[in-house]
Amino acid sequence: MDLSLLPAFVIMLIIYLVLLLLALLHVAYLTYVERKIIARMQQRLGPNRVGPRGLLQPIADVLKLLHKEDIIPSAVDRPVFLIAPLIALVCGASGLAFIPLWDKFVLSNLNVGLLFILALSSLSAYGVILSGWASNSRYAFLGALRASAQVISYEIAMSLALLSVVLMAGSFNLQEIVRAQAESPFKAFVFPQIIAFFIFMVSAIAETNRVPFDLPEAETELVAGYFVEYSGIRFALFYLAEYFGMVIMSGLAATCFLGGYLGPFEIPGLPFFWFLLKLYLLLFFYIWVRATLPRYRYDQLMGLGWKILIPLSLANLFLTALFKLWL
Amino acid sequence: MDLLVFLYLALGMCIPGLLAVLSKNPVHAVLWVLVLIIHQAFLLYTLGSEFLAAVQIIVYAGAVLVLFLFVVYMINLRMEERWRVFVKRSSLGLLILLFFAFFFFKSLAFLTALSPHFKANLHYDLSQGTNLWWIARYLFTHYLFQFELIGVLLLVVVLGAVFLLRKLKEVEGDSL
Repeated sequence: MDLSLLPAFVIMLIIYLVLLLLALLHVAYLTYVERKIIARMQQRLGPNRVGPRGLLQPIADVLKLLHKEDIIPSAVDRPVFLIAPLIALVCGASGLAFIPLWDKFVLSNLNVGLLFILALSSLSAYGVILSGWASNSRYAFLGALRASAQVISYEIAMSLALLSVVLMAGSFNLQEIVRAQAESPFKAFVFPQIIAFFIFMVSAIAETNRVPFDLPEAETELVAGYFVEYSGIRFALFYLAEYFGMVIMSGLAATCFLGGYLGPFEIPGLPFFWFLLKLYLLLFFYIWVRATLPRYRYDQLMGLGWKILIPLSLANLFLTALFKLWL
Repeated sequence: MDLLVFLYLALGMCIPGLLAVLSKNPVHAVLWVLVLIIHQAFLLYTLGSEFLAAVQIIVYAGAVLVLFLFVVYMINLRMEERWRVFVKRSSLGLLILLFFAFFFFKSLAFLTALSPHFKANLHYDLSQGTNLWWIARYLFTHYLFQFELIGVLLLVVVLGAVFLLRKLKEVEGDSL
């Protein structure tokens, strides 16, 4: 290896570490914000004991989870049980590398970045499916079965919704998609592709197993679903993976539909402002949905996916193609 | 460096492939195939085809293997089934293996002989467009007939599945 590359390599490594830390902090405080917002919506106070206004609550939670014993039940399939949370987290979090945060800042600017995000999100489903099987527990197993069917069906609708965006932009490269939006007459694909945006948001909630589609972890029927046998740090990894999934899906929606890092005007000194604003708005939407809607029944969930969202997204794709052909 | 990466990827495909065949637990076997597919995707990536790498993971790892796992879960196979018919006639299996090995090496030679022909027919220049663009171009011009044929084949498969399901329902009546 060339030694002259070493300083650049070290600098790159430091940048990655800082970014990872920032992302982790975002995820930790996302849990705090979620608890606070839901508390507000349900006329409660929410966490308010640790630190001013409960601001140190996420740190306390992390410390608690790190200290707890990592219990491994005797009947589990040990290697798979140990590796499943890691699969969930690694595949769930690495999608962040492809999302352009700013014109000059994207960790990995691939020609098919969008496809790689989809690939990683489909891989992260393995964490859920395997943990449920390896736990050797009925509740976890039911959660895993539900997750595998749910993730496959909603992935189709999500990919088709994103494909119509790709058709509009003419590229799988996320930077190119943002630039194509700036050149389009509406400045964002959310207006011409409002149907695709709707389909994407619904299936993104299903992909991340959040309310109202949280059937794999429905606590009223399955206790905690697929991660019922996990404790301590491994439980925390699943939790992190879910929130990373939310951040990535929101980032993807902001990039593909809301114009990404571009805003109506430049804010000097704050290059990430517009991206973060859109990201936070979409995350708020996730939490809002969680506080408002009841859980779907399983057959309703499958019916919604296969009978409404997939035909709708196919029709939308067809219309977009016609639109692209004649205009 | 290139050779090292290739060797790692090759080993990463061969060893999990063997382990998938040899492991007694069906879920572990599916997992080894997953490892194999991910290495295969990276091999495609190192060859400069990022599109095929992504598609490999989305289609095979993301959909096909999840369905495999789903089926393995459904029939609840915890351990290997030892059927006497298969254990008793394992020598026959060896014979079939030899036949396929012969077939494999023959077809390998055939393909290597054919590859200059492919290269002569496919003109591509990555400075003119991404490899995704070139794949699309060839799929919709040169190989359009084959492409459509595969589409029809898939349609037949889907229709067959629906037909089988219909028949099943008729036999069982409305008891479902």
